[in-house]
Amino acid sequence: MANEAEETIRKLSQHKGVVGVVVVNGEGIPIKTTLDNHVSVQYAGLLSALVDKAKSVVRDLDPTNDLTFLRIRSKKSEVMVAPDKDFILIVVQNPVE
Amino acid sequence: MSTTDRKLELERKKAKLQALREEKDRRRREKEQKDAEEALQRASNASSLDSRRDLDEMLSSLGVAPVKDVLSSLSSMTSLTPPQTASPDASLPHTDKSSLPSHGTPKKPPQLQVVSVQSTDIPPKENVTYAKQTQTTTSGVTELRDGYMEDWLRPRKAHAADYYDEYNLNPGLEWEDEFTGEDEEAAFHGKLPPGILPHGLPTVKEVQPAVTATPHEKKEEEKEKKIRELSNDEKQTIMLSAEFQKFISKAGRVIERALAEEVDIYTDYTGGGDNENAQDDKSAARLSLVRTFYDERWSRGRCVTCVDWSSAHPELMLASYHNSDDAPHDPDGVCLIWNTKFKKTTPEDIFHCQSPVMSATFAKFHQNLILGGTYSGQIVLWDNRVQKRTPIQRSPLSSLAHTHPVYCLSVVGSQNAHNLISVSTDGRMCSWSLDMMSQPQETLELQHRQSKAVAVTSMGFPHGDVNNFVLGSEDGNVYTGCRHGQRAGVSECVEAHAGPVTAVSCHAAAGPLDLSHLYLTASMDWSVKLWSLKENKALYSFEDSGDYVSDARWSPVHPALFAAVDAHGRLDLWNLNRDTEVPIASITSQDGVAFNRVSWSPNGSLLTAGDDAGKIWVYELAEQVHQPRHDEWTKLVYTLQELRNNQLDEETDRLSVTSGPPSLGSLTSLSSNPLR
Repeated sequence: MANEAEETIRKLSQHKGVVGVVVVNGEGIPIKTTLDNHVSVQYAGLLSALVDKAKSVVRDLDPTNDLTFLRIRSKKSEVMVAPDKDFILIVVQNPVE
Repeated sequence: MSTTDRKLELERKKAKLQALREEKDRRRREKEQKDAEEALQRASNASSLDSRRDLDEMLSSLGVAPVKDVLSSLSSMTSLTPPQTASPDASLPHTDKSSLPSHGTPKKPPQLQVVSVQSTDIPPKENVTYAKQTQTTTSGVTELRDGYMEDWLRPRKAHAADYYDEYNLNPGLEWEDEFTGEDEEAAFHGKLPPGILPHGLPTVKEVQPAVTATPHEKKEEEKEKKIRELSNDEKQTIMLSAEFQKFISKAGRVIERALAEEVDIYTDYTGGGDNENAQDDKSAARLSLVRTFYDERWSRGRCVTCVDWSSAHPELMLASYHNSDDAPHDPDGVCLIWNTKFKKTTPEDIFHCQSPVMSATFAKFHQNLILGGTYSGQIVLWDNRVQKRTPIQRSPLSSLAHTHPVYCLSVVGSQNAHNLISVSTDGRMCSWSLDMMSQPQETLELQHRQSKAVAVTSMGFPHGDVNNFVLGSEDGNVYTGCRHGQRAGVSECVEAHAGPVTAVSCHAAAGPLDLSHLYLTASMDWSVKLWSLKENKALYSFEDSGDYVSDARWSPVHPALFAAVDAHGRLDLWNLNRDTEVPIASITSQDGVAFNRVSWSPNGSLLTAGDDAGKIWVYELAEQVHQPRHDEWTKLVYTLQELRNNQLDEETDRLSVTSGPPSLGSLTSLSSNPLR
């Protein structure tokens, strides 16, 4: 079954324009990454903090609501974040020409 | 804010000020009263001092220090403390005052009263500070500033106690006292006159984020430490956990869809118009390739054996695949679910089993279940809710069920009463309940005239019918029959084709006229034939193809439209109302592959063709092609009549032209035809 997870991550990382894929656990520690260690740690720490904040924003606005997806578009790249109860999946993508 | 609001607020402030002034006046009056009383007291004290002097004289005469000296030594000790510990409490100053005059010259009560008059100069200062306070509170001071408010209220409190200055010989000393022991900010502001204090607001704001920023940094540092603790083994255990698997498959799917989105939200229409030209080209074509479905690992080299669409989610397409010689270690049978809505290139779900899947279908009334008929004869059941690619249920390989390849699989019936019908090439038809796959509910041996079993390769149920069926067989015959009743089984046989029948398709577009008796058959004899259940002679034969015709399908929405694919890799689109001689559109695959299956999306706008190399080609139809006009049904009836008339003419022509020995076959067909 671990193969399927690996396969999914590999599939994502091979997608056109994708720079890297990072899977982060609830404490902000990278579990699986295709980026180098330093960058992964940076993404993991910063984005898990942002996800927590975004989650609290969504929940404060409506307690019955919950955050499901986060897309950060910037001039140079796009970060897609799929948060869940225990894990966060981060995909960094370069804009497609 | 409206002007009336402003006026109201001004008035409110004025009223407050007025109340404050009154309060101050009242206090002043009280003070004056107290002063008068104290003056009286002192006067009485003076009288007592006189008596004390007499006592002193008496004591000094006896050689004892006079009372005055003793008292002054005592009061000098106590008088050091009172100014420092001065508090707003009104009771304390009284004790100070009573002790003060005792060591000063007792005969100065009129001078003290003059000082009390000077104190009236201070109140205007207080007014200024108070006005500032009301401004800040009414202009919506946020919670953040609460701390600040306290800070600048404190000096105000000190200021309020200013009227005690009259008794304090050094007012400057008290100012300093008030601000010692306060926090840094207050000390900083304390050096400024009280009226300037509120202007320090922005500096306080800046301090706030700095405080919150530091814990974040600490957190990150902690994380970095923790990362060192997480070993590869720990990571592996997390990755093997069920939660992780579930998360990855869920989140991966979402990300994939997001990645595949090609919509550029930053499109700028002020630029050039290249895109519009491209769109025009596309709409001009009746049939255009939009995308292909192909998976490097799971579909490469595998022939597409069956295609079906979900009724619950019309964008989902199920495709089953045969085994591949290139991948001997992978399972022989594969079923992939493709999504036509999102532009992602990978399948939505992957399922597999040990035997090649020859037929597959969505379980119509159970949107999560997928059924497959295998080469070994097993019926397998997959569920897309479980994290499992292998079947959750499979029928046993026993003589009760199928022991030959299952080429036909279909769910018939209604929401409350439906069955899965499967037919294998040994001529056995089984009907199953999805709740019990251990054995079929019914079995039916398909035999024609008790001779030999029908080698069924394809099956069709007329639209809305659960009892009657049409079968195509390996010997080129087409059989019709019914499932229930006394004559259950095959009832009629038609010698349809010169080669094995590859497909049977019953008319699918329901409309104002019932045309459900029409069906198409495709065969390896290079032809597609149109039939009616009411006649056992072909209505028409479409012989435009130059290779094995592997599949033919009616459009689900247009009554006169059908698609056929052949082993040459050609997809033909026929519209009987337009032309019966040539297809209205034809397209040939670029890779030189052979098409094996063709299928319509439920709304009739997409055509998919599965080839023998594992690729599914998705073609889009122009709207004017796939959308029927309301008169298409009646038109089709006319067309069919025309076809019959032509057939009659041909027959009579042939008879008159040959005019030699009339063949027996043509005679019988002539006699039987017009009667029906």
